[in-house]
Amino acid sequence: MTKEKKYWKGLSELNNDPIVEKLAQNEFSEEIPVNEFLGDSDLGSGSTSRRDFLKFLGFSTAAATLASCETPIQKVIPYVVKPEEVIPGVANYYATTIYDGHDFASVLVKTREGRPIKIDPNKTALNARIQSSVLSLYDSGRLRNPMKAGVDSDWETVDADIISKLNEIKDKGGNIALLTSTIISPTTEKLITDFSAKYGNVKHIQMDAVSYSGMLDANASTFGVRALPTYYFDKAEVIVSFGADFLGNWGSSDYAADYAFGRNPKNEKMSKHYQVESTLTLTGSNADDRIQIKPSEQAGLLSDLYNALNGGTADSRISKMVSALKSANSSIVVCNSNDSEVQTLVNAINNTLGNYENTLTLSSPSYLKKGNDTDVATLVSDMNAGNIDALITYNVNPSYTLVNADEFNTGLTKVGLKVSTSLYMDETAINMDYVCPDNHNLESWGDAKSSHGFYTLMQPTINPLFKGRQFQDSLLTWSGNPKKYYDYIKDHYMNDEDDKEQPGLDLISNEADWNKKLHDGFFTIDDTEDQFADQMKKERKEVSPPKEHPFKSSSSDYIEFEVSEKISMGNGSQSNNPWLQELPDPLSRACWDNYLTMSATTARALGIKNWNVSNGALNGSMVNITVDGKTLENVPVMIQPGQANGSVSMAVGYGRKNAGKCGDGVGINAYPLLNGGVANITIIEGIHHEFAATQLHHTMMGRDMIVKEASLTDYIKDNKAGNHTELYHTHDGPKKASEVSLWDEFDHTTGHFWNLSIDLTSCIGCAACVISCHAENNVAVVGKEEVRKSRDMHWLRIDRYFSSEMTEERSAEEKISAIDMYAKMEDPSEKPDVVFQPVMCQHCNHAPCETVCPVAATTHGTEGQNHMAYNRCVGTRYCANNCPYKVRRFNWFQYSDNDKFDYNMNDDYGKMVLNPDVVVRSRGVIEKCSMCIQKIQEIKLEAKKDGTKVKDEKAQTACSSACPTNALVFGDVNDETSEIQKMKKDDRAYQLLEHLNVAPSVFYQTKIRNKA
Amino acid sequence: MHKESEIRDPLILGNKTYHDISRDISRPVEGKANKYWWILFSLSAALMLWGFACMAYTIGTGIGAWGLNKTVNWAWDITNFVWWIGIGHAGTLISAVLLLFRQKWRMSINRSAEAMTIFGVAQAALFPLIHMGRPWLAYYVFPIPNQFGSLWVNFNSPLLWDVFAISTYFSVSVVFWYIGLIPDFAMIRDRMSSKVAPMKKQLYSLLSFGWSGKAKHWQRFEEVSLVLAGLATPLVFSVHSIVSMDFATSVIPGWHTTIFPPYFVLGALFSGFAMVETLLIIMRKVVSLESYITIKHIEYMNVIILLTGSLVGTAYITELFMSWYSGVEFEQYAFLNRATGPYWWAYAIMMTCNVLTPQLYWIGAIRKSFVWTFVLSIFVNIGMWFERFVIIVTSLHRDYLPSAWTMFSPSFIDIGIFLGTIGFFFTLFLLYSRTFPVIAQAELKTILKSSGSEYKNKK
Repeated sequence: MTKEKKYWKGLSELNNDPIVEKLAQNEFSEEIPVNEFLGDSDLGSGSTSRRDFLKFLGFSTAAATLASCETPIQKVIPYVVKPEEVIPGVANYYATTIYDGHDFASVLVKTREGRPIKIDPNKTALNARIQSSVLSLYDSGRLRNPMKAGVDSDWETVDADIISKLNEIKDKGGNIALLTSTIISPTTEKLITDFSAKYGNVKHIQMDAVSYSGMLDANASTFGVRALPTYYFDKAEVIVSFGADFLGNWGSSDYAADYAFGRNPKNEKMSKHYQVESTLTLTGSNADDRIQIKPSEQAGLLSDLYNALNGGTADSRISKMVSALKSANSSIVVCNSNDSEVQTLVNAINNTLGNYENTLTLSSPSYLKKGNDTDVATLVSDMNAGNIDALITYNVNPSYTLVNADEFNTGLTKVGLKVSTSLYMDETAINMDYVCPDNHNLESWGDAKSSHGFYTLMQPTINPLFKGRQFQDSLLTWSGNPKKYYDYIKDHYMNDEDDKEQPGLDLISNEADWNKKLHDGFFTIDDTEDQFADQMKKERKEVSPPKEHPFKSSSSDYIEFEVSEKISMGNGSQSNNPWLQELPDPLSRACWDNYLTMSATTARALGIKNWNVSNGALNGSMVNITVDGKTLENVPVMIQPGQANGSVSMAVGYGRKNAGKCGDGVGINAYPLLNGGVANITIIEGIHHEFAATQLHHTMMGRDMIVKEASLTDYIKDNKAGNHTELYHTHDGPKKASEVSLWDEFDHTTGHFWNLSIDLTSCIGCAACVISCHAENNVAVVGKEEVRKSRDMHWLRIDRYFSSEMTEERSAEEKISAIDMYAKMEDPSEKPDVVFQPVMCQHCNHAPCETVCPVAATTHGTEGQNHMAYNRCVGTRYCANNCPYKVRRFNWFQYSDNDKFDYNMNDDYGKMVLNPDVVVRSRGVIEKCSMCIQKIQEIKLEAKKDGTKVKDEKAQTACSSACPTNALVFGDVNDETSEIQKMKKDDRAYQLLEHLNVAPSVFYQTKIRNKA
Repeated sequence: MHKESEIRDPLILGNKTYHDISRDISRPVEGKANKYWWILFSLSAALMLWGFACMAYTIGTGIGAWGLNKTVNWAWDITNFVWWIGIGHAGTLISAVLLLFRQKWRMSINRSAEAMTIFGVAQAALFPLIHMGRPWLAYYVFPIPNQFGSLWVNFNSPLLWDVFAISTYFSVSVVFWYIGLIPDFAMIRDRMSSKVAPMKKQLYSLLSFGWSGKAKHWQRFEEVSLVLAGLATPLVFSVHSIVSMDFATSVIPGWHTTIFPPYFVLGALFSGFAMVETLLIIMRKVVSLESYITIKHIEYMNVIILLTGSLVGTAYITELFMSWYSGVEFEQYAFLNRATGPYWWAYAIMMTCNVLTPQLYWIGAIRKSFVWTFVLSIFVNIGMWFERFVIIVTSLHRDYLPSAWTMFSPSFIDIGIFLGTIGFFFTLFLLYSRTFPVIAQAELKTILKSSGSEYKNKK
C-alpha cells in the first residue's frame, strides 16, 4: 500500500496512465482556444460573432477610457519625519523684521506647516504694505535663478565672473559704486565696510525713492545729525503738518498709534490738528482744520508762520493756527518738503516753539531714511562720464524711480560691471549684466536699527522658495569671506573673544541671550545719556531760518503739480502684489490705477469731467500733462474733493513695465515728475478712462445717523453729544426700536457674546485691517474689470464720506425742494470734512439675511455671530439684497484656479499664502465676514485644553489685531473684565442703522472732532 | 301688443353649426400650417435656442455673466420671473373665476388663456432655478428628507413660500387645463381616420382617456371642473401675494411695503389680460378663428384692463403718499429716487404704459378696435415689465448706506435669456396651437344657440 498514491484526481492518475504524465507537463490541461477568436485570419469562419466583436470593442473602449480617467494629481507631501516644532493644524509664530527700504516693522509671522501665512504686529504697528508682504513672498514673478546677460545661470558662474571682474577693477584702481536703499542694518553697514576694504574705491550711495534728503540735510546742518527726528505725536497739544502725510506714507508707519492716543476724547483733552496741504492726504483727511494751498505757497506760509511766532503778522489763512500754537504747551510742526532750506525753517519753528526734547527729538533719532540726493546725482553724472566701473544695486530700482531715469540708463551703458540684486527682473535689473536675486525678508537673516537704541532681528520663516541668495551672503562671497551671513551677524553682536580681528559689539552676551532676543524679535539699548544730547542742547539755541531765501509763490494762474503716494502702492516696489493693487485708495476709493487728482473747480475750468456710466462705474476725461519739459500722455483725471484749486497731483508707484503679471501696465509712472512744478494740462477729446472704484457715492446724503459726530466742546459738555437714539411713536409713548420688537432672540446673557467696537475718532482710514482680513480669510482678488462692475470681494471695507455743502438745515432755510436738495447733496464739498467708517458684517442678532435664506445656509450662532454655511448655500443672493449694510459678497465666478482671474489663487506659489483654517469659496456662494470665527474657535479650544476661561486679551479678529490705533476692539461682552464691555456701555457707542432694530453685534463710537 | 325682448349679441359670429365648430377647431390640428405660422415659429425657435445658449453659458461660467453686482443682486432675473408669473394670472382668472361667475364669453378664450398661464409659469419657473449661484443644488430648496442630519429648509423664507406657491399653482393649472381638454381631444380622435393617421389617432385616443361622451362622463366632467375652479380661484390671489412677499417682508426701503400683495395681484391680472389680448389677436389671424374670438371678447377684456390699470395706478400713488406720510427719510428718498433719480426713465415708462395709456379705453372706438387693443396691450406688457424692474432695481441700487450705492446695467446674456424665454413661450404656444384644440369646443357648443339671433334670422 505504500506505493499507492494518497490523493488522486481520477482513475487514470491512480492507474499511472501515461497520458496523465504527458498532460502534467503542460501548463493547461486543455489548450486555450486563443486562435478561435484572435488567430483566425478568416473572421467569417471564426467563432467570434459580430456581436462578440462589438462586446470586446465596447469593453476595451470602456476599459481604456476608465484607465485614462485618473484623478487629478494633487501634490501633497507628508512629513516622513515630522519636525519637532511643527504640529499640523497648529500655527507657529516667529518674531522677525520687515524692511524693504521704505517700510519698517517689527513683526510676528504666523506660519502653518512651515508656510508663513500672515503678518501680525510685534513691536511696531503695521501698515497695509507690510501686511501684504507675505503675499509678495509667494510671488511667482520672482527670479528663480541668478541671471547672466538676461539668461538663467548658476551661482558658481556668476560669482566667478563677478569676483574676477571686481578684482580687475581693483587692480586698475577703478571705481565701484554700491547703490542701495537706506540701510538700517548695522551688520550690513559693517559688511559694506568690509567689502569696501577689500576692493578699495567703493562708494556706498543710499537713495530713497521718495527722498527725505532735504530734511536730513537740514538736520545735519543744524544739529550735525543726518537723521529723522523721533516724534511724540501723543505729547503735542497742537499738531501742524505742512503736507506731511505722517499717518500714511511720510516717515515711519509708527506715528499713527501715538497720534490716536493723543486724540482720545475720553481724557477730555484732544490734540488739535492743522493740515496745510494741496493734495488731500490720509493725514489731511483726519485733521481738525485743513488749509488748502498750492504747493509753491508752502515755503512762504512757513516763513510767515516763523515770523508770526516771532512777533510778526501771519497770513489770514493761518492766523488761527498761529494763535493755537502760541497758546499750546506743546506742539509739533512737520513738513514734507524735500528742500533743506525749508526744513531748516521748520526746525527753527519747532525750536521757537520749544518742541525739541519735548515732542520731538534728535538726541535719539530715527534712521529710517538716509538717502542722499547729491550722492545720487553725482553717481549719475559719474556714470555718464564713464568714471564708474562697477555698479551693484540693492533694494532700489533707479531706472524706474529716478527723476532722471533716462540719464541713469544712458550712464549705465558706460559701466563695465553691472550687478543687480533685485528679486525681480525689474526696470533696472533688465539693464544689468548680472542679476543675483536677493531673498525675501521672510527668507532672510538680518538685523535693523530703526531708531537710536532700538534693534530688531530678522530670521527666516521659510526656506528660500527659489534659488536666490541673500544680498549680504552675495556680498560676503564677493568679499571672499567664507562665513554665512547668519554667523556674521552673531559675530557682530556677540563678543567673540577668539576672533581678535572682529570684536563684536557685545550687545548680545551669549547664545542663550541671542536665542532670547531672536525669539523676542527686538531689543533696546538703554542709553539715557544719548550720544547726541549734549550737541543738541548746544546747537538748538542757534537754530534760525535761512536769511535771504526767496520764498515766493508762483502766479495764481498756473496749475501746479506735485506727486503723492498711495497707502496701497507706496513707492511701487510691491507693485506685483494683487492685494495691494486691489486695495482701494482710502480717499478716492479707486484701485488698480493712479490718476491726476484735481478739484472740481479746476476741472470745470479745463473742461474735464468725471461721470458714471450705466452700470454705475466711473469714467473720466484724459489729459496730457507737461511739467518742467516732461510730458505724461493719456493721463486720466479723477475729480477729488479736497484737492486745492489750481493744483493737481498724481501718485507714484504705478506704471511699472517689469513688475510681473499683476503690476505691469497698471497706471502711469509719475516718477519723472517727482520734483513737481508748473503743469501744462491739455484735455484729450474723444477718449476717456475707465476707473475701478469700490465706492461711487461720496456723501452721506443727509443721513447723519450713519456716522454720528460731535465737536469736542459739545462732547465735554455732554458725553452723549451727537449720539441720540431715534424713537418710534407708539400708543404707549415714544419708544426705542429695540423695545417694540416682535423677535424671539437668543439669550445672550450667558456664555460668550462676541462684539466688536469701532471707534470712528481713532480710525484713520489706513486700511491695514482690510489687508489683514484678506490674509486671514482668503479673500479673493477679482481684478480691475470686476471691481469696475462693483463686484469687489472685500469682507471689510472702509467707507469714506465727504461732507456736502447742501444740508437739510440749509435747504429748509433757503426753501430748496427735496428733489434739488438731494441732487445737490450728491456733490461733495470742495473743502470737505472727511470720515472713515469701517463696515463689515454687523452680525445682527435680528438678522434680515437669516430669515430670507430658503435653505437656512446663513444662521445665527449662540455667541452672537451670523454664520455662513458655504456648503449649504445655493446662491439665491436674497440675503445680500436684504442686508441693510450691503456687506455680503457673492462669488460671481470661480475665483480660484481660473485663468481669467490670474492672481494669487491661480498660482501654485500664490496659493501657499492661503489660510488652511478658512475654506476657499467656490463660485455661486455668498461669503462675508465671520468675525474670524476660526480665531475664536482656536482660543476656545486652547482654553478648554488648559481648563481655564477664555482670556479676553487673546480674543482678536484679524482687523482688530492689525489696527495701529486700536480703533477696533473685539471681545466678549459677557466677560466682566473685558474692554469691549466698557466700550458697549460708553456714551459714545451706537449701532449703525439702529432704528431698523436688527441688533448688530458690531457697534461704533461717535466721531469727535476738535473743532470750535 | 308685441314686445320682443332684446336679443343678446351672439358670442359666436358667422352662423356656425355644431359641425362647423368641430371643423374649425380641428382644422389647425388636421391641416397644414400656413406661412404665418412657420415664420413666427422659426423666429420663436431661434430666439429660444439663443436663450438656451445664454442660460448654458451662465450655468457654465457663473452668474457673473449677468450685469449684477454687490449691491444689486437681483435685476432682470427676478423681474422676468415676476413678470411671467403675473402673466399667468389672467388665464386662471378667466377659466376659474369667470366660470364660477358663469361668464359665458370666457369659453372662446379660456383654453388659450390657460395655455398661456402654463407656458408663462414654465418661463417664470426657469428664473428661480437659473438665478441660483449653484443651480445643480436646487433640490436643497425642497423639504426632502436627507442625510445631512436634521438639515431642513427655512420655512421663514419667502423664497421657500414661492417654491410651494408656484408648484401648487402650476400643478393645479395643468390639471384644470387637462380636464377641460379631454372631451376636445376625444372629438379630434373621433374625427381622425385610423387609416390616414394611425399614430395620431392612437395618440389622441390616449390623450382623451377613453372619453365616450356618456352622460355620466359629462356629469363628472362638470363636477370636477367646478371643484377645480374652486381650488384655482384662491390661487389667483395667493400666488402673486406670496411672490410680492419676497419684497414686502424685506427691510429694503421700496420693498418693505404692506400694500404689495393686493397691488401685485392687480398688476398680475392687468398684465395677464394684456398678454391674453396680444396672443389672441395674433392667434385669431394665424389659425383663422375670427368668428370665435370677436371684438366683444376684446372689449370685455379691455374693460378689465381699464379697471385693473386704474387700480394699479392708485396703488402707485398710494405708495408715494405713504412714503411721504411715514416720515421715514429712507422711505421718502427711495420713492423720490425712483421717480427722479437715475432710473427716472424706467419709472416714466411704467407710469405711462400702466396708468396713462390704458385710460384711452374710456373711448369706445379704441376699446372696440383690434389694432388699438393690440398696440395698447403691448404697452401694458412693457409697462408691467418695467414696474417690476423699477421695484427691484431702484430700491436696491440706493438703499441705506450711500457708500454701497451703484447702478445696474444688463449684459447681453441678461437680454439673451429674457428674449429666450419670450421665444420659448411663443414656441410652446405655437406648437400648442397646431396640436391642441385651441378653443374649448365642447363647452362652446353649449352657447351656440344661446343668443337666438340665428332663429330670428331664419324667420
